Amino acid sequence: MNIFTNDITWILLLPVIGAVGVYATPTKIARWVALVFSALVFALSIIMFFRILSDGGFSNFGDLRHLPDSFDALWINFNAGSFHFNIHYFVGVDGLSLPLVVLNALITMLAVIGGWEKTRVKEYLALILLLESGVMGVFVSLDLFLFFLFWEVELAPMFLLIGIWGNDAIKHGVPGRIYSAWKFLLYTFFGSVFMLAGFIFVYLQSGQTSARLTDLSTHLLVGSVQIPLIGVTLSLQLIAFLLVFAAFAVKIPMFPLHTWLPDAHTDAPTEVSVILAGVLLKMGAYGLIRFCLILFPQGAHEFSGVLAVLAVINIIYGAGICLVQSDMKKLIAYSSVSHMGIILLGVAAATGTGDMAFRMAALTGATVQMFSHGIITALLFFCVGVIYDKAHTREIVIFGGVAKRMPMLATLFTFAALASLGLPGLAGFVAEYMVFTGSFKIWTAVTIVSVFTMILTASYLLWMIKRVFYGPFNKKWDWLPDASPRELIPLFALAGVIVFVGIYPTALINVITPSLSQLMHSALAFVK
Amino acid sequence: MLKLSDLYLLSPELSLTLLALVVMTVDLFTKRRIVVAATALIGLIVPVALTISQIFILDFSHANHAFSNMLSVDSYAVFFKIIFLLIAVVMVLASYEYVKKYVKADGEFYTLMLFSVVGMMLMASTTELITIYISLELTSIPLYVMAGLIRSNEKSAEAAVKYVLLGAMSSAILLYGFALLYGLTGTTDLMGIATLIKNGMHTSNVITSVQGNLMELIAGVLILAGFGFKISAVPFHMWSPDIYEGSPTPATAFFSVGSKAAGFAALIRVFIDGGLGQVNLTSLVVVISIVAVLTMTLGNFVAAVQTNAKRMMAYSSIAQAGYILVGFVASFASNKSDGNAAVLFFILIYVVTNLGAFSGIIALGDLTGGDKIEDFRGLARRSPLLAACTAACLASLAGIPPLAGFWSKVIIFSTAWGLGLNWLVIVALLNSIVSLVYYGRIIKSMYFDAPLKLDRLKMPIGLSTSITFAAAALVVLTVAAQFIINAATPAASSLLAFLLGR
Repeated sequence: MNIFTNDITWILLLPVIGAVGVYATPTKIARWVALVFSALVFALSIIMFFRILSDGGFSNFGDLRHLPDSFDALWINFNAGSFHFNIHYFVGVDGLSLPLVVLNALITMLAVIGGWEKTRVKEYLALILLLESGVMGVFVSLDLFLFFLFWEVELAPMFLLIGIWGNDAIKHGVPGRIYSAWKFLLYTFFGSVFMLAGFIFVYLQSGQTSARLTDLSTHLLVGSVQIPLIGVTLSLQLIAFLLVFAAFAVKIPMFPLHTWLPDAHTDAPTEVSVILAGVLLKMGAYGLIRFCLILFPQGAHEFSGVLAVLAVINIIYGAGICLVQSDMKKLIAYSSVSHMGIILLGVAAATGTGDMAFRMAALTGATVQMFSHGIITALLFFCVGVIYDKAHTREIVIFGGVAKRMPMLATLFTFAALASLGLPGLAGFVAEYMVFTGSFKIWTAVTIVSVFTMILTASYLLWMIKRVFYGPFNKKWDWLPDASPRELIPLFALAGVIVFVGIYPTALINVITPSLSQLMHSALAFVK
Repeated sequence: MLKLSDLYLLSPELSLTLLALVVMTVDLFTKRRIVVAATALIGLIVPVALTISQIFILDFSHANHAFSNMLSVDSYAVFFKIIFLLIAVVMVLASYEYVKKYVKADGEFYTLMLFSVVGMMLMASTTELITIYISLELTSIPLYVMAGLIRSNEKSAEAAVKYVLLGAMSSAILLYGFALLYGLTGTTDLMGIATLIKNGMHTSNVITSVQGNLMELIAGVLILAGFGFKISAVPFHMWSPDIYEGSPTPATAFFSVGSKAAGFAALIRVFIDGGLGQVNLTSLVVVISIVAVLTMTLGNFVAAVQTNAKRMMAYSSIAQAGYILVGFVASFASNKSDGNAAVLFFILIYVVTNLGAFSGIIALGDLTGGDKIEDFRGLARRSPLLAACTAACLASLAGIPPLAGFWSKVIIFSTAWGLGLNWLVIVALLNSIVSLVYYGRIIKSMYFDAPLKLDRLKMPIGLSTSITFAAAALVVLTVAAQFIINAATPAASSLLAFLLGR
């Protein structure tokens, strides 16, 4: 198959072409160019979904060597002495990545609609499209070094998006947008250095001539090494796991590496927050399952106890902080920390010791949570963005009874909050229920503590809704108009998806299961 | 005996010399500068075409010698010739507005530049000491004049005088090294030198081994010092910041890429083809490694505190020379061509990105008259194209993935690691982190800081062409890195092949 007849190549290329097109056309047309290209990518991802479905269904997703949709070509090949430096353009989608590819395409398209009236709109939309391409690359690369490159590609547009269009309020002596952009960049860069070191370590240790996931997964690290001076013996797998996981932990974000997230969210413009929470955080969770679990199952297993504890800190600490937030956006940012902790708990359960079926359920739940958290948080951020664009403040206490003036938005915001706190019948419930049931058998105490997050989530979200939308009406907001039709498009689109996933999760779970069960059986089966 | 085929081997240089003369003559008869620049640009098609024809016609499985082994057209030489011609094309495009505004001497500027390019091309393709020296002078003397071309500006005059004096001194040192080498071996031909060093030298009609011969070591160090000036390696770098700052910016761009690439071309040729590594290898490797470490470290750390963009670029180019030396010394120490292949790849990427970054600085000078880092403030709002392309080039120089500069660093460092110079690679990596500071600072002020003025800057056509060309080439090189590697590997091994062949 030719590289240009593969649809994944076009999913990567179309946003880039679109970005150039946006730059090159006058502002009025540029918006439509951006919309058309993001819609094309979304359409392509949906077509890919149904094509795979009709070509024999998702049961072929297990083996990464024979994916129904993948492409492999040697890109860089350089030999120096005994060192072989090979990079393959090896891309493909399976049950783990396909939902995220669709999610990314959907959210980017909605972000383009949301960012319709930004200042300097051409650059804004062009960067959003470039960002989409980088994130798509992360989700589809199956070569370690290719993955690393795309991981870095995403940094530059995100940095600029926060740094240029962000919030001007002074923070630590500099405008907040600059402070947060740098913080985001440095944290991620710091993590990715460790990831690169880990990848090179695995690659050299394996003795393979290429760093494709399929080559390395059959040559797992063995043995251990004694650390000089302290005399502790660590298995090589654990060392490699920790190195690579450092990058993902920053991105997820895992306590105590989460502090960049609230800053980045509060200072980023609405659509960027949406993409950041909806898709970018998933890169970390995706990398954890895709690379860490496949390449270092033993290391992940050894770390699973610590991971479970860190997960519960993420869940409870994140939710606790939400209770005292006065800024709506910051509140939702911290709620992300809490919800991403549930993914960590799922992974910790999957790598723990116990019944395979429960571990499998926990991992499936974690993967579903990636998708459902993506759409729910995106909806929440869009809602906050609508209020902020009109009222130019996000302080909870200033508002009151705004539902009177914004009935449509109040309904949707409440809906999103209910989805986020895990109301049965909506997307959030499915994932959290699966993770908690699965992990209860594996990490009982941890899970019992974690489940209280349901109560905390309900209290902070409903309390915020009450203070902003209900209660006595603050006359100051008499002039507020309701959300415009353009602003309502993304809100309704996301709400629809949330209901669909909540009522009929099987559609999503059927896609995910073949890949995950293969992963569990090939990588984690040795843990009884 | 002069053969017609010899002339063909020399034809790119010959046609370029003719072009320089034609440009000078055209300048005499017309006052319209566009005609002069167009002549230079269109005329460059001839040497480019001839060089490309050489790629297809000549057989590179062996070196093609001409003029009693003085000229050697191997794939190494052709690789560099392409780089130099590329530089010439970009320079003509990028300098057009600047020359009009500040230099006011088109004919001279283009003629000198073309003569200098002839010298550079010869430096890459001669295998004889005296010819190397002459080509070096042919390269340098036009550069001295170019540095002083802003006649009304004191700094420019100062730069020219400094450049002449220091340049003369360095070529004297180089010549001294060559003389020692000749005295030891009795020949100026690099192949002959390599053979004699290998088989033992003639001292008063007795053939003695040269292992441990101090003279050979001194000659090597002197040659390194002489070329070290050209490539601005520490401690021979003192000239570059002042001269970079004072000279007209296009000339600075030309020094930073052309003169440096030519210096490396000749340095590598003399050291590898001349077989200098066959004796006293350890001492020479230690000397070059120390120079590499000093060059990287000083370049990076001093660049981080500069306020003038041209001075910063001067130190950045010093640092880049240090990275290149890492690759070279790895190859030199292990007698394998991989390191030099990485060097060739690195130099090509460096040339493209540095030309792009300098096009940005030239454009800034044309449009706002400033070349301080603070003049970059808010450039993204005043001219998005300029800011985006400059940022891409700077990010590539910093080696930020996934741009081409990342490849060149990965390849040169992993090669040096594979060839056993691990400590040098660690130093280089630490240095790369420092380099993020100063490249990042310009990107930051272009994008995040409030602009000094709010007007839109209109880019002249020549500059926007050259900077877009550089940025586009960057993207193409990133994706098509494999093609360059495929070209660089035989080019580097063509040097070694002849040494190992005997």
